[in-house]
Amino acid sequence: MSYPTLAPFIQQRPWLMRWMRPLARWYFDNSGYRKLGLRADDLIPEESESVQLALKRLPPKEAYDRVFRMRRAFQCSLAHQLLPQTEWTKADEDISYLEPIIKEIEAERTEREDLESMIIKKRTSASTKGGH
Amino acid sequence: MLSRSAFRQATRQSWLQQRRGMAAPASGSFQYQVGEAAGIKIASRDTSGPIGTIALVAQAGTRYETMPGLAEGLNKYAFKNTDRRTSLRIQRESELLGGSLISTHTRENLVTGAKFFRDDLPYFVELLAEVASQTSYRPHVMQEEVIPLVMMDHKKFLANTLDMALSSVHSLAFHRGLGNTIKPASSTPYTKYLTAESLEEYAQSAYAKSSFAIVGNGVDHAELSKWTNEFFGDARKSPLQQLTSAQSKYYGGEERISHGSGNSMVIAFSGSSSPTGASYKPEAAVLAALLGGQSAIKWTPGFSLLSKATQEAPNMHVATKSNVYTDAGLVTIAMDGSATDIRSTAGKVVEALKSVAQNISKEDFQKAKALAKFKELEYGQEPRAALELTGAGLVRDNKPYQIDDVAKSIDGVTEEKVKKLVKEALENKASVSAVGDLYLLPFAEEVGLKV
Repeated sequence: MSYPTLAPFIQQRPWLMRWMRPLARWYFDNSGYRKLGLRADDLIPEESESVQLALKRLPPKEAYDRVFRMRRAFQCSLAHQLLPQTEWTKADEDISYLEPIIKEIEAERTEREDLESMIIKKRTSASTKGGH
Repeated sequence: MLSRSAFRQATRQSWLQQRRGMAAPASGSFQYQVGEAAGIKIASRDTSGPIGTIALVAQAGTRYETMPGLAEGLNKYAFKNTDRRTSLRIQRESELLGGSLISTHTRENLVTGAKFFRDDLPYFVELLAEVASQTSYRPHVMQEEVIPLVMMDHKKFLANTLDMALSSVHSLAFHRGLGNTIKPASSTPYTKYLTAESLEEYAQSAYAKSSFAIVGNGVDHAELSKWTNEFFGDARKSPLQQLTSAQSKYYGGEERISHGSGNSMVIAFSGSSSPTGASYKPEAAVLAALLGGQSAIKWTPGFSLLSKATQEAPNMHVATKSNVYTDAGLVTIAMDGSATDIRSTAGKVVEALKSVAQNISKEDFQKAKALAKFKELEYGQEPRAALELTGAGLVRDNKPYQIDDVAKSIDGVTEEKVKKLVKEALENKASVSAVGDLYLLPFAEEVGLKV
């Protein structure tokens, strides 16, 4: 999931973060998924190898809660209703539980590709360990 | 032109070197040098050749495991993801260096090690230190990589009647401890007990400085000390839970297991402990060679007592082995073949055993002693020889396994000692296990053994 993003650029500059944080907060609240009781990571499209593997690696409790949230949101969508305000996802509950696992899987994949496209030079002395 | 005294001294030195020891290789002997580094016991011997082997021998085999399946699980988790690098990277780097990784477990020890070119010693010592203290135990690695392998081991074990019978005699002989099964016999170990958390706890007990020793073959002792000091400095000092096992006691009994494919019958009795242990009896090795069953020469059954006794069943595999553990041992006579063969020859095997208690012919005895000594010295020449036994001896009794001494003690075995061993075995309960077609396989009493 590598798409062009300014997020790292902004996160490294605290003055930009101060400007962006209220804007981001407003944006998240208004995008509406929290009013259906969902978290941001529930919205990640599942149709990719990495995400499928990440879902398999979820701890059982997280997986169960995810399914519950999705069913509740689907029911709301069928009924054309939003959840009562007490049940909306709060900002501190909207944690990223799937994204770190996906990043791990992606890192493993790139590492494998790097190792496979390595150029190996024959050792001349005992100190070097092979080209990388 | 050399002066006369220098010449005389040189010849004297070369004469002394030739008299040094039996079959000592050119650049060293079979003796292990013992030392300590960073609070860990190390032993090494510098054999000739470009390849070295090191192993981390932890006293955490199936005998010491706190729950079933943990020893095997920990063994299969060796060289997986650590805090610093992934398992893929470890494998690739080892391959590039031309090394191969070893990870086995026995009833008493977990052996994690590597074979490599001598120059790469620092890399592999660092790798072992990472495996011991920095492996990260994650549930998804268990699910994806470790548990499928344990399941395969389980299936393989259930398909092999000889393994089942040997495992059964061990549990009959020793009950808990040495009697724990070395491979999972049912699915409870990996469904009930083997999880990432339980493995992590077990690792904190197994890979503590007092629970393991580092043994090297073909590496320089000073180098090994230096790198151990450097990399193992921050390993865990004391185990989370002291892994102990009570002194092994021999019980005995009989077990019969029904099995659809394959037939095996194993007779076992108390044998000798390891030379570093308390009840060491070199006559057990001589007895195993005397009874024999397998020949080193092709296309002939050989002339050992059991080969002669089982002549009419040439397709049956019969072998005697002296299994040696730190504080106890088991001499096993294993028969594997068709059920009718076992039925007809089991009685003869027991008769051969009883005849040893009465009388051993001088020629047979000489042959057996020579064979036992040969096997011992041949074992000593293998690169992995005695790694496990030395490590275990160091951890438990602080003594390494010295092959020269063992071979010498076989010289001191007399016929009386062997007869005495067999007489005691026949007076006490034997451990007998029959796996296969139980309708045909005989009971222990039917073949004349006491259970």
